[in-house]
Amino acid sequence: MPMLIAKELSVERSSQQVLKDVSLQLEQGEIHALLGGNGAGKSTTLLTFLGFLTPVSGSVHVQGRDVSEDVGAARRAIAYLPEGATLYAHLNAYENLRYFLSLAGTDTDRQVLDVALDRVALQAEAREMRMQTYSKGMRQKVAIAMAILREAPILLLDEPTSGLDPAAIDDFNRLVRDLAEGGRTILLVTHDVYGACHVADRIHLLHRGELVGTFDRPSDMDRIDTEAVHAAFATHAAA
Amino acid sequence: MMGQLTTIARAEWRLWLRSRLAFGALLIFALLLTSTSVVTALRMSEAHHGRTEQQAGAEATFLSQPDRHPHRMVHYGHYVFRAPPPLSMLDPGVDSVTGQSMFLEGHRQNTAMFADVRASAELGGFEDLTTALVYQLFLPLLLIAIGHGLIVREREENTLVPLLAQGVTGMQLYAAKWVALAGASLALLLPLAVMCAVAIGRGAAPLASAGVVGIYTAYLLVWCSLILLVSSTVRSRSLALGILTLLWLGTALIVPRIAVESASSAIPVPGKLQTDLNMQAELREVGDGHDASAPGFQQLQANLLAQYDVTRLEDLPVNFRGVVSQAAEADLTEVMNRHAEERMALEAGQARVAASFGWLSPVVAVAAGSRALSGTDLATHHRFLREAEVVRFDFVQGLNRVHAEQLPYSDDINRNIDAEAAKRTRMSAENWKVLDAFSFRPAATSERLSRANTPAAMLFAWLAMLTAIGALAARRMQP
Ligand SMILES: Nc1ncnc2c1ncn2[C@@H]1O[C@H](COP(=O)(O)OP(=O)(O)O)[C@@H](O)[C@H]1O
Ligand SMILES: [Mg+2]
Repeated sequence: MPMLIAKELSVERSSQQVLKDVSLQLEQGEIHALLGGNGAGKSTTLLTFLGFLTPVSGSVHVQGRDVSEDVGAARRAIAYLPEGATLYAHLNAYENLRYFLSLAGTDTDRQVLDVALDRVALQAEAREMRMQTYSKGMRQKVAIAMAILREAPILLLDEPTSGLDPAAIDDFNRLVRDLAEGGRTILLVTHDVYGACHVADRIHLLHRGELVGTFDRPSDMDRIDTEAVHAAFATHAAA
Repeated sequence: MMGQLTTIARAEWRLWLRSRLAFGALLIFALLLTSTSVVTALRMSEAHHGRTEQQAGAEATFLSQPDRHPHRMVHYGHYVFRAPPPLSMLDPGVDSVTGQSMFLEGHRQNTAMFADVRASAELGGFEDLTTALVYQLFLPLLLIAIGHGLIVREREENTLVPLLAQGVTGMQLYAAKWVALAGASLALLLPLAVMCAVAIGRGAAPLASAGVVGIYTAYLLVWCSLILLVSSTVRSRSLALGILTLLWLGTALIVPRIAVESASSAIPVPGKLQTDLNMQAELREVGDGHDASAPGFQQLQANLLAQYDVTRLEDLPVNFRGVVSQAAEADLTEVMNRHAEERMALEAGQARVAASFGWLSPVVAVAAGSRALSGTDLATHHRFLREAEVVRFDFVQGLNRVHAEQLPYSDDINRNIDAEAAKRTRMSAENWKVLDAFSFRPAATSERLSRANTPAAMLFAWLAMLTAIGALAARRMQP
């Protein structure tokens, strides 16, 4: 059973069509990347999977179930990393994690939290500090840790590497592959062509609400052909 | 479900404790509440003791009068005081704007006077800030200050999507935020509950006291619901704060003023001077009974002579002058009571019109309910006026009976001949005991509860309406 399906999905925001006939399908353990310029409709796609936006035509399914029929089930199955890592500035990393996780029904003790924060390499001395003192990259790390800790079968990550330094991006890419190998299904939104090519099994190129290209990782390669994707991206950016 | 609700509510409380603004506001209000409560309680308990003592003093003075002609005692008069009920330490209501004492004498109903000789300048007008006012006017401001961002803050800071993405429904989030603010309201009701407990200790009816706590609880919950509704429907915190401030101005300052204006234009109460002049004309027709030979009493005289089958007033077994005084007092009182009842009916009508504005403003509703339950409303003042009149009529007529039954007519008409004759008309001071002791009590609990019914219904209507609209808003909550 595919974990995520978008079928000829069209979505409007403020009466403007922002997605048009988008179709994708993710099997369990797959990593797909949605690549596209600003305003292409990447975030909109994720929000539609979560049921925050309703398609004007077409449909989205999570674990085989139509999202419009059971938003709750979809949200429970998905760990979502929003764009710009929005967390509470007056809480520290532990408090933020505990709060959101307990709302999702997961009780977590500090050791488990620390393991996740270690995986994203957040400095130990920062963890007890309120997040208003964090840099963008540090906040992003906590948000990623949260997505992992949700232990949901599906991860929707919206620009997870923005604000991260190159070393942290490498760590993140490794982490994503580990999670997929562990059976998680991951849909990743990015405009980092290089990173997408390195972690994704398939890249969907989105341009002004339409899918304009699909690139698969050849079975004998460990990454997608970066040159080809770059070329396609550049063509559309110029158009 | 329940777990998510308490998690979100507790997170809100943690935010308030960590936010210097919210914490500071809470602290200031706690101080304001405590100090106002202490001041109001002290003031009203002082007034209670003062007036009770004055009452006892007035009674002792009356009883200690020497032997006298009974009609001189009718004009010597007596004082009654309206002691404030125990719950007035929360809500003094109309106590400070209506007279609290009255001089009682024959042939007249005096207006209530102000009993407490106290320089209000001394307190700089601060004494007008009562516990009830703090709850009615200022606590909503505090709730607005800490609660206007409840949901719109999450929207502005982009935490609403991640929150809902955890599987929390709009309904649960709405309920949880309501619980958070309602919890703060309940904590703020604690001083009120303590004061009610103290009032019960001083003799307040437990049910009425519980009613006071109940009506303020309903009132603050109305504000919680209103604040949350605004916070969940607007896009920015400043807009929420602006709208709520306007709503506060409207319900707390403007509508109450309109209510009073509408009441006095809907039911005009003629000036006291005018009604008194009209009444005086009617009273003159009846006569005060000082002149027993006035034509008005001819019929009485004829009836009395026929009844006892005598021809001369001197042969009657009763003193005709005393009988005339009794009859005149009864007739005068009927006229005066009719005027007084007319006036009170108009005033009560005004109060009803003003209170009906509670459908528009919960502030008006809670104020009316609070006064009714505390026994400090206009109806209670009217009750005082009626009770005072009963005391007045009873002691005047008691003295008139002494005059009619114990003082011989011949002594009475010849009392100016010499000192010896005058002395014979002095009745024993024993007779002054016709005066009943007066101790003012507000209406029975059941009556006060029933007067608070309509205000309570208004608050529940507000609550029901806001809950219904809130449920709709929660169901379609958008990030
Ligand atoms: N809250 C919103 N209301 C209305 N239109 C929006 C909103 N957010 C985004 N859009 C519009 O939807 C389109 C797609 O936006 P988005 O999915 O956020 O793009 P991306 O994530 O690819 O940068 C853009 O044209 C954007 O202007
Ligand atoms: Mg985006």
